[in-house]
Amino acid sequence: MDNIKNKKLLIVDDEEDIRNMLDGFLRKEGFNRIYHADNCAEAIKMCHLVKPDIAILDVMLPDGDGFSLLSSLRQISNLPALYLSARGEDEDRLLGLGLGADDYIVKPFLPRELLLRLTAILRRVYSPPQQEQPPVFHLGTRIIDLGSGTVQSDDKLLPLTAKELKLLFKLYVNRNRIVTSDALCQAAWGDDYYGFENTLMVHVRRIREKIEVIPSSPQYLQTIRGLGYKLLVEEEFR
Amino acid sequence: MKSTVRILKHFIGATMFISAFLVFFNFLLLGLMVFKGMNEGQSPSAVVENVAENLQFSSNRYSLDSSAATLLKQQRAWAMLIDDAGQVKWDYMLPNELPKNYTLTDIAKFTKNYLMDYPVFVWEHDQGLLVVGYPRESIAKYEYTLSVNWVSLLPSSIVALILINIGLALFLSLVIGYKLVHSIRPLTQGIQFLSEDKETFIQPKGILADLAQSVNRASTLLQKKNKSLKSRDEARSNWIAGISHDIRTPLSMVLGYASDLEESFYISEEQRRQAGIIRQQGEKLRSLVNDLNLVSMLEYEMQPLNKKPMRLSVLVRQIATEFLNNGLDDRFIIEIDISDERVQVNGDERLLSRAITNLIQNSINHNPDGCLIKLQTTTNAKNNSCSFILVDNGKGISQNELPNLLELPYSTKRKHPSQNGHGLGLPMVDRIAKAHQGVLLLSSDIEKGFRAEIVLPYIYMN
Repeated sequence: MDNIKNKKLLIVDDEEDIRNMLDGFLRKEGFNRIYHADNCAEAIKMCHLVKPDIAILDVMLPDGDGFSLLSSLRQISNLPALYLSARGEDEDRLLGLGLGADDYIVKPFLPRELLLRLTAILRRVYSPPQQEQPPVFHLGTRIIDLGSGTVQSDDKLLPLTAKELKLLFKLYVNRNRIVTSDALCQAAWGDDYYGFENTLMVHVRRIREKIEVIPSSPQYLQTIRGLGYKLLVEEEFR
Repeated sequence: MKSTVRILKHFIGATMFISAFLVFFNFLLLGLMVFKGMNEGQSPSAVVENVAENLQFSSNRYSLDSSAATLLKQQRAWAMLIDDAGQVKWDYMLPNELPKNYTLTDIAKFTKNYLMDYPVFVWEHDQGLLVVGYPRESIAKYEYTLSVNWVSLLPSSIVALILINIGLALFLSLVIGYKLVHSIRPLTQGIQFLSEDKETFIQPKGILADLAQSVNRASTLLQKKNKSLKSRDEARSNWIAGISHDIRTPLSMVLGYASDLEESFYISEEQRRQAGIIRQQGEKLRSLVNDLNLVSMLEYEMQPLNKKPMRLSVLVRQIATEFLNNGLDDRFIIEIDISDERVQVNGDERLLSRAITNLIQNSINHNPDGCLIKLQTTTNAKNNSCSFILVDNGKGISQNELPNLLELPYSTKRKHPSQNGHGLGLPMVDRIAKAHQGVLLLSSDIEKGFRAEIVLPYIYMN
């Protein structure tokens, strides 16, 4: 985490007030190597000079637009970039992301949102890829291990099929939130809900037989009529 | 193209009718004339018959009834009776130059033709042959000889004649009609283009040159008007887009510093609360600016649509789930009723989901005491449309207020300012429906709940 705060940030915006505000927030959050540029030319100069680790770019700059600036920056270094623009039209957003920007935030923005997205990019790009541990969680007395695909009850170990695993994974990622039948079918079969209604119902019943104490009156995997399903998991303190 | 075919059809029909009518009329007239000519006064054969009947022979004397005599006088005709030996036995007003006896050859000749240029007619009489003569050059005699074969073929010949006539008339009308259509086709095409709001130019030539020029003038006029309308709309929309763009940067500062203060530990809790209010109002302003921009783009048809086929039911479930997952108050109950899973619309997902979200949010905003919100999808096979319907059992709105809800706020058409929210929500839904060739229908009354229906053209999933 600390080495993320040591990364070099380049802010390119022609509004000095915005630059100063961003500078203030980021310094308060622990970033201390922040560089400013107020036009494209200077941004390219800074890129050569300090070799920033990430760039926050405005789209409308006095001597060009942020889209062509990103293309030029990418020729120097493969740094990640985040657009911070007052232009919120879909085309601009798509153009920016299409050019390979890592995110596109429309002004006005909340500083916290910017900070979260920025650190997410930095972590993704610069942190060593961690082996994501497949989740293991408790439902009452049973332990569901999505890594090995098993349900451990008091006396026996029940295996989960591939589809059941995919469904449970989707439900667990969105635990305590409703997941629509469409999203579940998309996750398990890569297709829409239409045509899979019955198959989905059968799979849900089989999952309940494995994870519920009384499958006919489910306690954890609940049906939300007309919408989909919801997996109730008590958050554990780890 | 359809209209030219129709014109040609009409033209041929009219021509055929006119020819048929002319032929019929002429035949009628001819028949009448012949009939009249044959019956002008007393027909010669009637006269000669009359005279023969009224010429009595008794006690070696011939006497002509006075009525027959008057008849002859009226016709300025003469009469004679020739006996079997060829001698004239009796006569009446017989011209002097005529001989008094005739050979068989003479009789045969004048029966067929003329007797010394007098047209004569004969009738059989007890005492011989009665001859009635008319003045020279008063009557023409004709004689027809027709072969039996010809007469027996007459019905089919008449039919053939009529058919040939019809064919000829059809051919001529086709040729003339084609030429006419050919000359007006550029015009019809031009007018069709005008009605489709396309630019058109017709080479002005032929008899319809001035008409072509008028069409050209109308076209340029329309194009000019369209252009100026479009540029005005564009200017308005760009103006709003520009304003919303320029508001965004200062608003960033307001939001940024306000939310920073809200989390600051150096100021009192009261001040943090106030900073929170600034932040909330700033966010409201942000959504207002964004909505204003979107509505203006939709209003002036400048919003690009990212259309793709999608199932309405999936969209509805997704939005309802979002509301529920984001902590919808327990006082609100959302019910889903999907009639046909297969209903698809070709639409911009972001805009359509915005429209449905706005409708649900509208029900929530106007019913702080909570209500039941029913979401339905239906199809109408009759006009290939499908509907998203929202029905709530909340407090509703007076019927005469309904049309007002779809007008843009601040416009002259909107009589009362909106009471809750910025008033862009429903106009936006209306504009989004229109951008998808659909329509938004509202119905409500006080304490009767609120019903909104978005009708969209649908495509069936195969």
